Amino acid sequence: MNKVILASGAALMLAMGAAQTPAQAQEKTLTISVYALAQDEYKQIVYDPFQKICGCKLVVETGNSVERFAKMEANKANPVVDMAVISMADALAASRAGLIDKVDTSKLSNFGKLYDIAKDPNGDGMSVGYTFYATSIAYRSDKMKIDSWADLLKPEYASHVAWPNVTTNQGPPALYMLGLALAKDTPDLKAPIEAVGAKKGEIVTFYEKSSQLVQLMQQEEIWAAPIGRFTWAPFTKLGFPIAWAMPKEGQTGGMNVMTVTKGSKNRDLALQFMDFWLSTEVQTKLAEKLIDSPSNKDVKLSEAIANNLTYGEETAKSLKLIPSAVALDNRAGWIKTWNEKVGQ
Amino acid sequence: MFQNRAEALALALPAAIFAAAVFLVPVVILLSDGFRSPAGGWTISAYTDFFSNSLNQTVFLRTLRLGALVTIASAVIGYAAAFAIVSLEPGAKGKVTGLVVLPLMISPVARTYAWIVILGRTGIVNQAFQALGITEAPLRILFSETAIFIGLLQLFLPLMIISLISALENMPKDAIPAALVLGANWFQVFWKVVLPLTKEGLVIGGTLVFTGSLTAYITPAILGGSKVLMLETLLYQQVAVSNNFVAASVIAFILIVMSFAANILLKRVATARNKQRSQA
Repeated sequence: MNKVILASGAALMLAMGAAQTPAQAQEKTLTISVYALAQDEYKQIVYDPFQKICGCKLVVETGNSVERFAKMEANKANPVVDMAVISMADALAASRAGLIDKVDTSKLSNFGKLYDIAKDPNGDGMSVGYTFYATSIAYRSDKMKIDSWADLLKPEYASHVAWPNVTTNQGPPALYMLGLALAKDTPDLKAPIEAVGAKKGEIVTFYEKSSQLVQLMQQEEIWAAPIGRFTWAPFTKLGFPIAWAMPKEGQTGGMNVMTVTKGSKNRDLALQFMDFWLSTEVQTKLAEKLIDSPSNKDVKLSEAIANNLTYGEETAKSLKLIPSAVALDNRAGWIKTWNEKVGQ
Repeated sequence: MFQNRAEALALALPAAIFAAAVFLVPVVILLSDGFRSPAGGWTISAYTDFFSNSLNQTVFLRTLRLGALVTIASAVIGYAAAFAIVSLEPGAKGKVTGLVVLPLMISPVARTYAWIVILGRTGIVNQAFQALGITEAPLRILFSETAIFIGLLQLFLPLMIISLISALENMPKDAIPAALVLGANWFQVFWKVVLPLTKEGLVIGGTLVFTGSLTAYITPAILGGSKVLMLETLLYQQVAVSNNFVAASVIAFILIVMSFAANILLKRVATARNKQRSQA
């Protein structure tokens, strides 16, 4: 009996193997590495339609940027991933580590449609921006008035503020803007970190996850917090008068970029995929689902959608982003100073 | 039970191989990072660096303090609750024990988020304090050591109660009446009779609570945030943000050592009392 089961199992496996082999041999495979967000929507809007166009198979690897970066570094000699989307600063880190290659923008038919800020964010030709976001202050307009980033530290406001921890994506940009407000904007962010440190007892919390802020705002635990525009939508539904600040120092933000892995065997396919993702049609659909703010300036959005995103030429031009090299060279120092002044 | 040792060892071999392959070897590889010198060879410089940093010292002492406080508080509350439960009728006992276990079936994330609502400025604790005239303005409880203490205590208290219930149930039924008849007061009954007879339960419960408090991540992250770092939240920061696996491996090693030390210490305390008794 056992022999019969074994034999039939073996036969079944052989048959499955035989059925799969020819198909796999013919199919081209593109492996991409992306953030683990909104994968159902990406599948529907980007991945599935692209697979139909290219007649290829798309393998999607997800994870946070540290995990994905570590994986790319481990497979440097024999890269698995062909194309990765990462933050601007991580793209520079990857470029310094020799993990990515120049992007041949002549093969990107949609390249000309991008906002200037997204064309070559690090100025090294190694990446193309596919989405960016503004970072400013969400605040209770009935309780406070915000004209400057420094207003958050006013004695009457500080005990109602959640400030992003330096380890979050919003942390350094918020400190950078506070530095501008204090007229002490050195790359080491020393002055703004000290200013926040002086108020650490009053500030409600140094948040790690922006999802926590909605609840804190709802419970009136906080009145204001620096946030990325991509988390803005839930605040507008709380039933409180919550405004998006336009401080006199301006807004900051961040950008995510596409990169091609050095040594990828599917470079052309990767570029074809990037071009598809940057197309007006795909960028419009992603924006309409409130997933990514478009970096393609031909994307036209309704006011309701645009209000929830970082949208338009003016906004794109006004963003004061921390240069990637500054972020990379100072990140460890920022955390050290922060831990000394705020962490204890 | 077995004819020879070899037979018993052979039966244990598959489980041992599995545990070694999927647990022991990866842990040793991970921890060895903390002892490797960048230049090659072995060093403890990562540990001296860690402990020479004042933030790390603060975080280490805070973790130790909160772990100890939660363990002590859960032992005190746990004994009272376990006594009450074992004295119930069998039917009621099962139901109440079920209620004690119930929170363990709810995700720690949900349980911890509930504390944000309860301990907030407009939460019921502050409302009650203000209504009773204890405070005028709402207290800042969230994002403090107090909040972490409350969260951890609620998270791990059931483990202590369950351990103590089983220990109390195994205690001879006439031990307490006998001590009382012989003239002991309640404190003496507890200290000289109950504690020695239930020490195994206390050691198990204490180790679970202490180890759990040291290694909990969600509760300190949500209720303390980066304002009140604990070793676990610091470990996360080192891995996910600073990409510093050496520092993370140092913290992991410290946590493991602290857990073992707590277990050994609790066992020592229990045996020391035993020896005292037998000598007396």
